[in-house]
Amino acid sequence: MSHGFTPSTGPGNANARAHVQIDPCTPRALRPLARVLLWVNQAMVILGMVTLLVAALVLTYSVVSRYVMQASTDWQDEAAVFCLVAATFLCAAYVQSLRGHIGIEAVAGWLPESLNSMRLMLVDLMSLLFCAFFAWKSWALFHEAWVEQQTTSSSWAPPLTIPYGIMAVGMTLLALQLLVQFSARVNALTKSSSGVAP
Amino acid sequence: MGLFFGVVTLLFMFSGAPISFALGSVAVLFMYLFMPASALNTVTQNVYEEMASVTLLSIPLFILKGAAIGRSRAGQDLYAAMHVWMGRIPGGLGIANVFACALFAAMAGSSPATCSAIGSAGIPEMRRRGYSPGFAAGIIAAGGTLGILLPPSVTMILYAVAAEQSLGRLFLAGIFPGVLLVTLFAMYAVFRYRKEYRLAEAEYTRSGTASPLLVQETFTARQKFEMMPRVVPFVLLLIGVMVALYGGFATPSETAGLGAVLALLLIAVIYGVWRPRDVAPILTATLKESSMLMLIIGMSLLFSYVMSYLHISQSTAEWVVGMQLSRWVLLATILFMVILLGFFLPPVSIILMTAPIILPPLKAAGFDLIWFGVLMTIVMETGLIHPPVGLNIFVIKNIAPDIPLNEIIWGVLPFVLLMLLAVVLICVFPGIATGLPDAVMGATAAKS
Repeated sequence: MSHGFTPSTGPGNANARAHVQIDPCTPRALRPLARVLLWVNQAMVILGMVTLLVAALVLTYSVVSRYVMQASTDWQDEAAVFCLVAATFLCAAYVQSLRGHIGIEAVAGWLPESLNSMRLMLVDLMSLLFCAFFAWKSWALFHEAWVEQQTTSSSWAPPLTIPYGIMAVGMTLLALQLLVQFSARVNALTKSSSGVAP
Repeated sequence: MGLFFGVVTLLFMFSGAPISFALGSVAVLFMYLFMPASALNTVTQNVYEEMASVTLLSIPLFILKGAAIGRSRAGQDLYAAMHVWMGRIPGGLGIANVFACALFAAMAGSSPATCSAIGSAGIPEMRRRGYSPGFAAGIIAAGGTLGILLPPSVTMILYAVAAEQSLGRLFLAGIFPGVLLVTLFAMYAVFRYRKEYRLAEAEYTRSGTASPLLVQETFTARQKFEMMPRVVPFVLLLIGVMVALYGGFATPSETAGLGAVLALLLIAVIYGVWRPRDVAPILTATLKESSMLMLIIGMSLLFSYVMSYLHISQSTAEWVVGMQLSRWVLLATILFMVILLGFFLPPVSIILMTAPIILPPLKAAGFDLIWFGVLMTIVMETGLIHPPVGLNIFVIKNIAPDIPLNEIIWGVLPFVLLMLLAVVLICVFPGIATGLPDAVMGATAAKS
């Protein structure tokens, strides 16, 4: 359905891994951060795979336990939601590292190259500011849930620090990923305007 | 205010920023400018509370089920079986492709994945058998669009959430229109095959050059039954998922989880795809698509919340109602707007951004929102095969790069017209969409 489909098929596709590498335009000062993000994002993808499978298994168990064991199903939905929130937010930075969050690129073809580079830089800046703001507010929400020991309203009542913490970590990684990508754009633009090959 | 909001949204969206961040930025900007300062403190809570819906979060699991099937050889096997079983019918190869697309789309739930899986086997075979490249490409591109109409469709899940309608009823409402589209596509495939066959015959009479289209291919009963073991389990999966959902055994989210687990088990047993290195690409592809999609959904819901808080959606809806358009003009205007939005936006954004504005006037005009959901989905399907975005066209271009783009577009256009014909038929005979849900789930709850 979505426009994020990659038409490569078949198991053993190594595309995703091949695309994840440090942009050569990344400023020297941010390269250690870029390298750390590369590793952290890979770890988050593995964690995301696990949470995705756990969510599917928990929901399957929910059906089986209800009809085979006649057991109550009070925690499964919430556990699956937490797992899928984790898969969504923790992998957001990895998807951004592949520029996988889709946008409307209709104007890209009409602008001269210099203006287009400027546009891409501004787009990254806007995305960075938004994600940094969201990460900040997520940590604030996490802190509030921690201090007030908030739980969900279900009978299982797990602490809300779990999903809020996941959201805060995911959005922080996303903001850091955007910081690295934005700085690479600025660096490339500065070098090209001063005539130095990036 | 509404105009200002609209202009700023367009500016952010067309800047090329990721849709999720663009929508989130617009929402936060307007919260900062026009809402109490405390509203900014609840941004993340709003997004979480909107997203933490079991129905919405079933989307990654439906994507996982689709990815498992889409990245196995199930598509090719399904296509091969259809080809063998329909070989004797004139234009049977074209019909086989349409049917294979429909079945695969229902199993995988993704239009581009269907195009890729069935097209990679179907297009070369149709061309080898003398079908014109544009015709072959058109069949696959159009057949792929059935992925967002036939259940379990991610697009329909979003519509059900945005319109606050029953997901089970909406899934059922998509089935007969899906069958109608399959029938129309198959009829066109036969018509076009006969036309190309006549041209090939004339060419043979004139120059003595025999097109492969004139060669009759036959298959033995043994060949037909040999294809069954690989296809039947997937068809059983499709039926099993529907029985679990409508038999009251599982909720939509449980069905998604169960479907994903069963799909992974099937590809492990049938295709030996069970090692971590085989399964990892399936999970990675699911994570990439899910994370991107869920962030768009989360930020779209925040965007809708701001629109609603600032009374933009309500006042726009009131303005539309105040125009006192006749109900069919209103419907046509809204569907035309959906077609225009389909030029640039994926269905997920169209639904979540427009639902608060277009649904109240439609409800006021007495339209059934389940019925409208089906119409809107078909109209959005056309966006997958018409320029400038036409995602399926580019998937076809990717798997058959030697077919010129303009030939693909010309090949696809008759199918766009057929889809619009289906929209007209469903308007004239609304029972095509509402009949099945009314029969299965009762008619009283159908009207919104």
